Amino acid sequence: MKLRLGPQPLEWIDRNVSVTFDFEGKRVTGFEGDVVTSALWAEGWKVLGRSFKYHRRRGLMSFANHDINALFQTAEMPNVRGDVTPAKNGLSLTAVNTFGSLENDKGALVEWIAKFLPVGFYYRAFYSPKFLFPKWERLIREMAGLGKINTNWSEERQPKRYRHCDVAIIGAGASGMAAAIQAAKQGVDVCLIDENPFIGGSLDYQFANQRSQSLNRQYLKETVASLPNIQVITSAYVAGYYGDHWLAVNTDQGLIKLSAQSVVVATGVFEQPAVFRNNDLPGVMNASAAQRLMARYAVAPCNAGVVLTANHEGYRAALDMHENGLIVKAILDTGKTEGVWVDEAKKAGIVVYEQVTPIEALGSREVEGFIFGLNGMEHRLDCDGILMSVGWAPAGAPLYQAGAKFGYEPEVQQLIPVSLPDGVFACGRVNGVYVMEDRIKDGEQAGLAAALHVKGDAIPEWKDFRDGVAHSHPYPIWQHPKGKEFVDFDEDIQVKDLKGAIAQGFDNIELMKRFSTIGMGPSQGKHSNMNGIRMLAKLTGKTIDETGSTTARPMFHPTPVSHLAGMRFRPERVTPMQLFHEEAKACFMEAGNWLRPEYYPTEATREDSIKAEVSAVRNAVGLVDVSTLGKLEIFGRDAAELMDRLYTMRMSNMAIGASRYALMVDDAGVLIDDGVAVRFSDEHFYVTTTTSTSDSAYRMIQKKVIEWNLMVTVLNRTGQIGAMNVAGPNSRKVLSKLTAFGLSNDNFPYLASRQAKLAGVDVTMIRVGFVGELGYEIHVDASNALMVWDAIMNAGKEFGIKPFGVEAQRLLRLEKGHIIVGQDTDGLTNPFEANMSWAVHFKKPYFLGKPSLMKLKQMQTRTLVGFELLSDAEKDQPLESNLLIEGKEMVGRVTSIGQSDTLKKVIGLAMVSTEYSAEGQELNIKLSDGRLVKAKVVKTPFYDPEGWLQKSNEGSGEAA
Amino acid sequence: MKFVTCPSLGKRALSEFTYGGRYEQEPAQETVSEKEWADYVFYHNGAPKVQIEWWYHRPTGIWFLFERDTLTDRINKVDFARKGMTHEA
Amino acid sequence: MPLRLLKYAWKKPEDEPRFFPSEKPLKEAYDVVIIGGGGHGMACAYYLAKEHGITNVAVLEQGYIGGGNTGRNTTIVRSNYLTAEGVKFYDESLSLFEDLSDDFDLNIFYSTRGHFTLAHTDSAMRTMRWRAEVNKHYGIDSEVVDVETIQKEVPYMDMTCNGQHPVMGALYHAPGSVARHDAVAWGYARGAQMRGVEIHQKTKVMDIKTKGGKVVGVETDRGFVEAKKVISAVAGSTPRITEMLDIKTPIEIFPLQACVTEPVKPFMDTIVVSGSLHVYVSQSSRGELVMGASVDPAELHSTRSTLDFVEGLTDQMMDLFPFTSRMKIMRQWAGMADITPDFAPIMGKTDIEGFYLDAGWGTWGFKATPVSGKTMAYTVANDRPHELIKPFALSRYEDFKLVGEKGAASVGH
Repeated sequence: MKLRLGPQPLEWIDRNVSVTFDFEGKRVTGFEGDVVTSALWAEGWKVLGRSFKYHRRRGLMSFANHDINALFQTAEMPNVRGDVTPAKNGLSLTAVNTFGSLENDKGALVEWIAKFLPVGFYYRAFYSPKFLFPKWERLIREMAGLGKINTNWSEERQPKRYRHCDVAIIGAGASGMAAAIQAAKQGVDVCLIDENPFIGGSLDYQFANQRSQSLNRQYLKETVASLPNIQVITSAYVAGYYGDHWLAVNTDQGLIKLSAQSVVVATGVFEQPAVFRNNDLPGVMNASAAQRLMARYAVAPCNAGVVLTANHEGYRAALDMHENGLIVKAILDTGKTEGVWVDEAKKAGIVVYEQVTPIEALGSREVEGFIFGLNGMEHRLDCDGILMSVGWAPAGAPLYQAGAKFGYEPEVQQLIPVSLPDGVFACGRVNGVYVMEDRIKDGEQAGLAAALHVKGDAIPEWKDFRDGVAHSHPYPIWQHPKGKEFVDFDEDIQVKDLKGAIAQGFDNIELMKRFSTIGMGPSQGKHSNMNGIRMLAKLTGKTIDETGSTTARPMFHPTPVSHLAGMRFRPERVTPMQLFHEEAKACFMEAGNWLRPEYYPTEATREDSIKAEVSAVRNAVGLVDVSTLGKLEIFGRDAAELMDRLYTMRMSNMAIGASRYALMVDDAGVLIDDGVAVRFSDEHFYVTTTTSTSDSAYRMIQKKVIEWNLMVTVLNRTGQIGAMNVAGPNSRKVLSKLTAFGLSNDNFPYLASRQAKLAGVDVTMIRVGFVGELGYEIHVDASNALMVWDAIMNAGKEFGIKPFGVEAQRLLRLEKGHIIVGQDTDGLTNPFEANMSWAVHFKKPYFLGKPSLMKLKQMQTRTLVGFELLSDAEKDQPLESNLLIEGKEMVGRVTSIGQSDTLKKVIGLAMVSTEYSAEGQELNIKLSDGRLVKAKVVKTPFYDPEGWLQKSNEGSGEAA
Repeated sequence: MKFVTCPSLGKRALSEFTYGGRYEQEPAQETVSEKEWADYVFYHNGAPKVQIEWWYHRPTGIWFLFERDTLTDRINKVDFARKGMTHEA
Repeated sequence: MPLRLLKYAWKKPEDEPRFFPSEKPLKEAYDVVIIGGGGHGMACAYYLAKEHGITNVAVLEQGYIGGGNTGRNTTIVRSNYLTAEGVKFYDESLSLFEDLSDDFDLNIFYSTRGHFTLAHTDSAMRTMRWRAEVNKHYGIDSEVVDVETIQKEVPYMDMTCNGQHPVMGALYHAPGSVARHDAVAWGYARGAQMRGVEIHQKTKVMDIKTKGGKVVGVETDRGFVEAKKVISAVAGSTPRITEMLDIKTPIEIFPLQACVTEPVKPFMDTIVVSGSLHVYVSQSSRGELVMGASVDPAELHSTRSTLDFVEGLTDQMMDLFPFTSRMKIMRQWAGMADITPDFAPIMGKTDIEGFYLDAGWGTWGFKATPVSGKTMAYTVANDRPHELIKPFALSRYEDFKLVGEKGAASVGH
């Protein structure tokens, strides 16, 4: 364990438990509590991955959940982040995006041709000759991408949880803890969220060895633990702030949807790398990364390092190294920093050079030295590590997403929030406050403000706790004539790339980002956007505010699909007769949310089964489950008025106990629904809708009742009532066995509706039929529906009853020329086109869409017609949606088609240009393979055109 | 994820509601011209504004009218959609 | 190594000619002002200059080039529409797309992947066949394919959709492609500028001035600019522009959201769309899965993101591709879609002389970029609508002559 330090006061590792895992085929041993990166680093593994474009060796850099160059592959997961993934026994990791191995990566050849691959090179080539592009593209795609997907991986879903609190605090560092305490003391419920396994934030790594902070630490942590109204959620990050203080909090156990009344953002800052030549060599890292390594995992960043700094914090990092017995070759201060830590460092005997200019890091595989300029001279220091402490960028994602505005504050040389939305507060370093005591005060005022906001009380005037010292270098970018100064480590973007982009006119922040791809990688610019903005501002001679910043959209960190999706919850509806259908082994099909029997496989094939069902209906009797129809009950003083207004036909003149076809259009005159309306009494109607529109029709009708100011109540009975249709010449005989009610034409004529007892229970029977036979639609309370169904099936046995499904019903209704809304009509079809002008009663003073229909009636250009096929149907039967052709023109399409055994013909419906709609007109149907077959327009209904069968008195025991 | 506070129902998640379009007064069918009707059915000023909208609360089956800003998504006012109401959007 | 890259051995990228010249003052007058510096506006400027010799043109963009829906869409290009009007129009767009890289001397990464629109119900199958038949009739490569064919092309897809909504077949459109959306806007912009067109970014149009029913110019936040002809090509901002002229349209603005995963090595070549599941997905050349769904449920002039969107999308996505549960969503964003009642655009002249609309693109704007530019340029240059856009006039609603694309609605990217 080359770089493992002695025990640290706040370390996260358990030295009594060791873990071993494989990395690139080699065995690695660490401690429980290590992350992959810390365990590797402790053993001296400094090359953790290869860079995206040039395949340069890379180590750890930020160590803050955005080290994209320390990204690993396992057999189970792509893109595993070494800086946050716990080291576990049995893990087996390889570096992503290598060709060969991490050690021998053929991808590194790219660096040899790097000069031919300037920023945006792929826009400059590969497109000519055109036929070669797919090959180049394949190569480019193979080179891009990071981890590998195994398409055999199983589906995983993590349940989501909901949580509600008064104040949500994002970030449990010093200011976040202080905010939580202050808010909790006001008596409100607080959730304190932190992405680390322990609260403490930078207090525990930047100030780990600072004895003067132990009291603060003790106070904050103990108070947080002691207050019962603070709930701490650790190992959890806020993936996104969504409207109205909703936070999507991602944890290892899934997503928490946290709703708060107020949000305090205490997310701190991301340390930004210095940009100089070879700043990507393994061993060069942010100072805060080094501090996290030491404090949390007791791992040394290096043995003998230099600290490049532009702020006070760099001196603290140097002291941390020094106090751990590591050699600090020198602190290289780009300016002349003052402060306690500066004094302490000097007192400890650490060499400090001021006004230093970084020039380059040296080393082939890892950093071996550093060259810097001082007083016009170049100096070299040998070292195995370079810590960079040149500045910070706010971790402001939740603030941006909440709608906060940021502005550049030259005093701290940082973007800070300048306007915050209602109920959102920011404190600590994200707010530009750096001194520990001030961070706590800033947190306290934010926590108090949030609690007062929740209570609706006035918020005291906001105090500015910024210390007036710049903690960031205004331009930490030092270009080198030989390049390789990396700005974006995800995307391998160097200074010259951004210069090139800007010089070519991509000189606003969004264009520069899109052309150069800075900030587009998995770290989403956390370590690179700020330096990019600084470069753009400088090169265009603008201020940072004029240059603007890019927004930080969700996700804060890439968030697992399994967590976002959560458990599957898509209910399916089944009818009361489902048990029967299942026992009959029905084949089901989807109809909206419903499952409906498509057919019952009674014969060897699907086709034969459907034929048998059709035949039963035509020759004996059949029973179909129509429970999925929407069923609305409408009652009240204005019920008839409502019916008249909703449907195109007049309904108010219906007799009690009658039924009528109900057709509905929308404001634009487009046919949207049809069903059957029944009048129970003067002020009481019952109407069905199509299966798919039941919810929307109910909703719309309720709305219209309000708009029209009618005294009506509408009830949606869809799920409460089961419905079935008994159809066929024997249907009356079957039902007669189950009811004493007179079913003869006199007592119960065609289109009438009756309430009676059937199989011992109350039912509503309507003498209608979609299929064109003597038939009864039976509506019955859902709890009795299966019983009634079974009773009919039993009673029908002697008459050859068969259940039939949607497919048989479709053919049967086609034989009758009945349309299916949505199949024979499209998104623009009006009733005239559907050949249903008979169903539009213009004499009514008002109905939905009437003015549109009056206009549309004058301009009809297409018509739904019936046709029969002229040629040999067996092998050339067209399909639904095949086109009708005249010359070269498309003049229509087949909407329904079927082989009718009853009629011994192939029949269908087609929507055609009106000029081709006359009876006897020959039509050319273009088959899917392009051949034409002939058909002829015929009158509908194809079957029983006079409708004798529906009106039949068959089986009533009376003379017809 | 948004909340809306409704009379009687209190604070509800917006995901429980279905959007029902802008509240608009239908012109009288008896007197409307073709042009006015087409305007009602198809044409409008779709610029960002505060408008009255229909929102349906699915669990209870109640229609509400929201006064909502289509630029900020802020819901200023919520009321039951009452019979006979006259709203000026 | 392509020869074109060899020059960089001695040439620095900053020595390349600028894509876009640096900012210039606005002139007092232009022959044509185009509002909106997205793909459509830039394409219109390009063809005005290239094909009609009209170069005294200013494109005014309130943000930056291609920063609106051009830079926010999921980059799919296809022509398998439902109506004759739609098919002819988009087919022309596709053939223009195929040559854009050469025209621009800029690789737009036009990548033909093949496009499956899955059907999970028999009614969806009918719609797919309808589209296929119309497409084939007009010579478009489009076919209904069965489950076996899909499985062969997309072997890693769960054809049973978790046993819930089995795939019954699909509309397969071999020419379906993806392209680098930004590059399309940049290519048009550069081409237009090389021919004399001025592009002014961060220039916001505040008002459009008319005199006697004719356009005379636009008021911007940088001053008044005289212009005889003004074209609005602003997609989600269209109602704000038409409001300036009291023009009413059927356009409503709905956010359209999208998201990408972390990049992974290529495994998905085809574009897969499922209307029933409200998902469309392709893998970008960078390795990210680019995914979208249908528009948000309510009118809103905003590009905010919602959790509901990404929750719904990922849930449905896993029905088709169970293994994606181990991937991570990296970023989500939104655009503002200008939706019309018949899902077809509104293009051409208006009642105001000299004011032209290129709008109503809903969720289909990107794939129409070249053809809309070309036909709008023709329309403006000749002051009469190009043949291909005649069916898309604003007045069609008043005449109740809607375009029937709605039949193919659902998710149609």
